[in-house]
Amino acid sequence: MKKIISLTINDQSHEIAVEPNITLADMLRYELALTGTKKGCDTGDCGACTVIMDGDVVNSCLVLAIQANGSVIETIEGLSTDEGLSPLQEAFVEKGAIQCGFCSPGIIMSAKNLLDKNPNPTEDQIREGVSGNLCRCTGYQKIFEAIESQRS
Amino acid sequence: MLLPMFEFHEPLSIEEALELKKKLGQNARILAGGTDLLVHLKKKLVKTDNLISLSRIKALSLITEQKDSIFIGACATMAQISRSPVIAKKFTALKSGCDNLGNHLIRNRATIGGNACNASPAGDTLPALLIYDSVALLESYGKKREIPIADFFTGPGKSCIQPDEILTGFRLPIPTDHSGAHYIQLGKRKSSEINVVNVASFLEYDPGTKKVITTRIALGSVAATPIRAARAEAALLGQAPEEASFFAAAEMARREDCRPIDDFRGTAGYRQAMVGVLTKRTLATAYERAKGA
Repeated sequence: MKKIISLTINDQSHEIAVEPNITLADMLRYELALTGTKKGCDTGDCGACTVIMDGDVVNSCLVLAIQANGSVIETIEGLSTDEGLSPLQEAFVEKGAIQCGFCSPGIIMSAKNLLDKNPNPTEDQIREGVSGNLCRCTGYQKIFEAIESQRS
Repeated sequence: MLLPMFEFHEPLSIEEALELKKKLGQNARILAGGTDLLVHLKKKLVKTDNLISLSRIKALSLITEQKDSIFIGACATMAQISRSPVIAKKFTALKSGCDNLGNHLIRNRATIGGNACNASPAGDTLPALLIYDSVALLESYGKKREIPIADFFTGPGKSCIQPDEILTGFRLPIPTDHSGAHYIQLGKRKSSEINVVNVASFLEYDPGTKKVITTRIALGSVAATPIRAARAEAALLGQAPEEASFFAAAEMARREDCRPIDDFRGTAGYRQAMVGVLTKRTLATAYERAKGA
């Protein structure tokens, strides 16, 4: 049976009727057309579906939409403004941290959350901060450099 | 992957959850962090008509310090336990376990109660729960029981929890002065990995006689459940805390206490050898910490 949940996504409030077996990732993609959040493995291994939920990064494929009732969610779509990409996104472009781009939204959300909590992370903290996000193209070094360039 | 259809229950109190569990029994699964259960449901390894989510019950995610012990709610997440100052100060081996489970995304959702109820022999917090002599707090409608953690696990994926019961948390006695502990997990890579061997050790020594007066050693991934290394503990008790006695205890753990199997993560022989190495290393670090405590 569908239940109406209310939540804030990228500063906009939403009221949505969801079935209990729909994940947050599927709700974002299929109910709200926020397809920036990717689905890779759907089992919490790859991190492509990373979003920020109430200030912490989570695999949105392992959160039921109904569990996000009342939560504040940030997705990749919330980062850019009318002026363009966010500085972190620009850094990914400039440093060549993007190839196929499938992992990028998840990695950028992890990196954003890391930098929000700790504006000046060490090398180890950067690597730890994206350790749940897999990339099959770049070999991670350019991703690391992009995040490193955004340290304050 | 689609999740099968189920009824979703979101009780706001433990009482409400216990009533539901009494009514639904084996027809309901408890949902905590969901990092295992939702995967098992998607892969159709688990079937259920009802999910009872505990995440809205605030009392279950508390970490509170009492006089001689701490209470960790079953729904406390790995990230939350790692951040707790009392855990960082007095339960270093548990903090290491929480720091190393899965990856940074999983740790924001995965709970200690879930790790225990999932009862994987390789569970990252389980050796630490064993060496701190934790007590599992179980409740059913109108009834409570306390189970020493050493009696909690009954097989791979199995625990002593009854169908009408809910694990509400753990009570861990605060370690005494002159004690220390350490945990090491060995995997193929650092992140998002299931352990090949994981070992935690605790020791307390008498600064007067310079002898080990309490020790608990727990081995993961080398038996059907996480286990205490009884013979290694007996070998170390009453000995001087020094390399030779740590080595002797590690040899007992390796030869007598562990019963590993071959699988795609490693051979039984390799696991056995690593039990020796990690037991010795965790004891040595535990003693260093005991001296500093």
